[in-house]
Amino acid sequence: MKTLQKYTLITVLLAMTVACKKDKESIDTEKPTIAIDSETAFPKQCSTIKRGTSFTFRSKLSDNVALGSYSIDVHHNFDHHSHSTEIGECTVEAIKTPVKPFTLVKTVNIPGQPQQYDAELKIDVPADIDPGNYHFMIQVTDLAGWSSQKGISIRILE
Amino acid sequence: MNRYIIFSLIAAQQLFFPCYGQEKSIELEEVKVGGRRYHRAAEGALSIQLLTADSIQKYQAGSLMQTLSRLPGVNAIGIGANQSKPQIRGLGFNRVATVENGIKHEGQQWGLDHGLEIDQFSVGSAEVLKGASSFLYGSDAIGGVIRLSPPAELQETGFKGQFNLLTKSNNATFGGSLQAQGRKGNWVFGGGFTHLEYGDYRVPTDTVYVYNYAVRLKDRHVRNTAGRETHFQLRGGYLSDRFSSIFYLSNYHTKLGFFANAHGLEPRGVDTALYDKSSRDIGFPSQTVNHLKLINRNFIDLDKHKLWIDLGYQKNYRQEYNNYTAHGYMPPVYPKDMTIPINLERLYDKQVYSITVKDQFELATHRLTIGANGEYQDNRINGWSFLIPTFRQKAMGLFVYDQYKFADETMLYGALRYDYSHIQTSPYQDWFESQLEENQSGRIVRASALSRRFNSLVWSVGAAHQFGDLETKINVGKSFRAPIAQELGANGVNYHYFSYERGNQSLSPEQSYQLDLSLTWSPRKVFVAFTPFFNYFSNYIYLNPTSSYDQYYGAGNQIFEYMESRVRRYGAELKLSYQPLKQWKVELLGEYVRSEQLSGAKKGYTLPFSPAPSALMDISWTAKNGKHFKETYLSVDCKWTAAQYHVVPPEESTADYQVFNFRAGTQLQFSGSVLQLRLQVQNLFDKKYMDHTSFYRLISLPEQGRNFILSIGVPFGKQSRS
Repeated sequence: MKTLQKYTLITVLLAMTVACKKDKESIDTEKPTIAIDSETAFPKQCSTIKRGTSFTFRSKLSDNVALGSYSIDVHHNFDHHSHSTEIGECTVEAIKTPVKPFTLVKTVNIPGQPQQYDAELKIDVPADIDPGNYHFMIQVTDLAGWSSQKGISIRILE
Repeated sequence: MNRYIIFSLIAAQQLFFPCYGQEKSIELEEVKVGGRRYHRAAEGALSIQLLTADSIQKYQAGSLMQTLSRLPGVNAIGIGANQSKPQIRGLGFNRVATVENGIKHEGQQWGLDHGLEIDQFSVGSAEVLKGASSFLYGSDAIGGVIRLSPPAELQETGFKGQFNLLTKSNNATFGGSLQAQGRKGNWVFGGGFTHLEYGDYRVPTDTVYVYNYAVRLKDRHVRNTAGRETHFQLRGGYLSDRFSSIFYLSNYHTKLGFFANAHGLEPRGVDTALYDKSSRDIGFPSQTVNHLKLINRNFIDLDKHKLWIDLGYQKNYRQEYNNYTAHGYMPPVYPKDMTIPINLERLYDKQVYSITVKDQFELATHRLTIGANGEYQDNRINGWSFLIPTFRQKAMGLFVYDQYKFADETMLYGALRYDYSHIQTSPYQDWFESQLEENQSGRIVRASALSRRFNSLVWSVGAAHQFGDLETKINVGKSFRAPIAQELGANGVNYHYFSYERGNQSLSPEQSYQLDLSLTWSPRKVFVAFTPFFNYFSNYIYLNPTSSYDQYYGAGNQIFEYMESRVRRYGAELKLSYQPLKQWKVELLGEYVRSEQLSGAKKGYTLPFSPAPSALMDISWTAKNGKHFKETYLSVDCKWTAAQYHVVPPEESTADYQVFNFRAGTQLQFSGSVLQLRLQVQNLFDKKYMDHTSFYRLISLPEQGRNFILSIGVPFGKQSRS
């Protein structure tokens, strides 16, 4: 019977450890969002851009707590390998081999940990790059490390 | 005296740490394995569940781990229908050791799309040791052990075997397996051959949404998930009461496609006409895996001493194929002068040499075991994509176990183990130039030559006591895991996950303290097993997604850093079975685990791949043996899985679901011949659900739909007792 008491005590100790949880700190469970549908947002799904010109990437980024950073990646999709995350198919050119495709990688730390941020970034498209189908990827993080991605199909014209 | 030691330990742990834990004891399924079976084994105070080959056949799913995941506390981290790796109480990857024929199985278990390289037809029995088992098997056994054994050898001269044919409706699997074994005097031998071919598996949906991109599935087939498997194993040697030496040779080979419309998290455009031409061809992306193993197990009885010597060699060779796709700063066209084949995305080549030596002897009422093991690993990489560096690793461990009969019905267990390991990673430099700061460009060094040594001292103490029908076990132990090459040395971009993984050269070994209890009550007609545990990690190594991107080294991807945090885990499993009438049995299996990070950047969050609480209810009926039908059974089970809202970036929460399964089987006997028939209907109502521990959960791809599995077994030879 003593042994039984021993086990009972151990069980109680265990139960106490489990039960004695400190007050829950609230944790962020929401991802940040990227708005690419608003009137000012650019580029949008199937947007076209002329090479040799500049354009401004515009998007409204938001989070329930605090935004972290955003990142832009432009790469060719001449082989149709990549697909946008959006609904709607765009004009697709025939598969071709890249010669001098446009590649852009740009990361931006969002200052001040805001909940809303109007991202704006001027992008120059050189005149000597290959025209064709491109993939425009936008990524954003919040302070907790949640991230969202949007991949948009765009076309660069001669 | 011992009572005070146990109390003091518990009290001290309660003071210094909020938690601890070790093992429990449960029994499994058809096979009633009382704790007594393990009474005199080193793991006697741990919870052990056992599945025999018969149960593995009866519950057979797409892979061994999916079959074992029926056990409470056991889950499978799966990719697709036929590949999965073990997870025990929410810990997986390198935190669970798989041991086959006494040797730790080493594949690429750190990888997300890796599956355990074991042929489930070849397994004689599978034991699951839940909880921290480092004292038995060293690093990686921190979360538990899956221990696999071949079929028991025949007791007398003879030859027997079974031929199995198998078909599954969901992915049009056709396959067969031939397993045989024999004995002539003291010479034993056995072997088997398995071949399986399957097409793309089907899910209960026409469209999968990868983000907002609607992927239409042709005839609900998950595009390009077909596969082929060919495995064989041979064994032979000498067996007597005083001496045995047996060799085991096996080779596992699989070629498997991955879902073509999303490689990792990345939506992919594919030529659907090409991919949908056949549901049985394997395009890109795909992988081939070959696992070769040679083991020699020896036993010598020297009266006062019993010696075991196990030697092992294994080679894991894994190739991942894909169309070359330029990401980040990679050149748009694959250079002609590259020596790496254009479709070889990654290659891992691992060779492992292992030895374990054990000596068991009695000292008064103590049974002591002392031993050592050593392992040498040589890992090479190839392919145009980089995740982990080439590395070499040496590890050795020294251990002592004590089993002490304290009183009638009371056993005490103790163990102490010291481990030393040394890992050396080789440098790796990108084969292409990246744009760097200030308009510079250069080939980035992704891994440097690193040399780290780790020491760990772990221990375990436990007790088992029988009160009539009630068996109680308690165990407290410390376990460890040495950091792996990826955690120390990675500095690579995983484009398919939009992540730039940064290793941390200063990581220390993980330390875990665990308290396990096991209560099993088995009066007539009833069996109850309850196994709660409490676990505390003083440093748990995890991959933390930060809020930053790296423009240069990470090619614009989110930085994921390896960090350490304190973690608390607790949970329990329950098994209840009740036989109200001779032919009827009701079974209830439940599991619950909760993990929480107590410090670090993800304080308050859970751990990745935390299984949701679940309960499984099974009702089965066994017929009386007739003239032509023997061991006939029918069973229906339903598994309720709760929603999982405890997630950590970048996971998504998972909704609750119920899945029904049906099973039936019989042994058909006519004129001296026997035919073993088994039928299963998995996911009876074609339920569309997400499994939180599935790899494809990340892209919202539901699990396999309704699946009819029919197997026909033809036993041959003299079915003498084994």
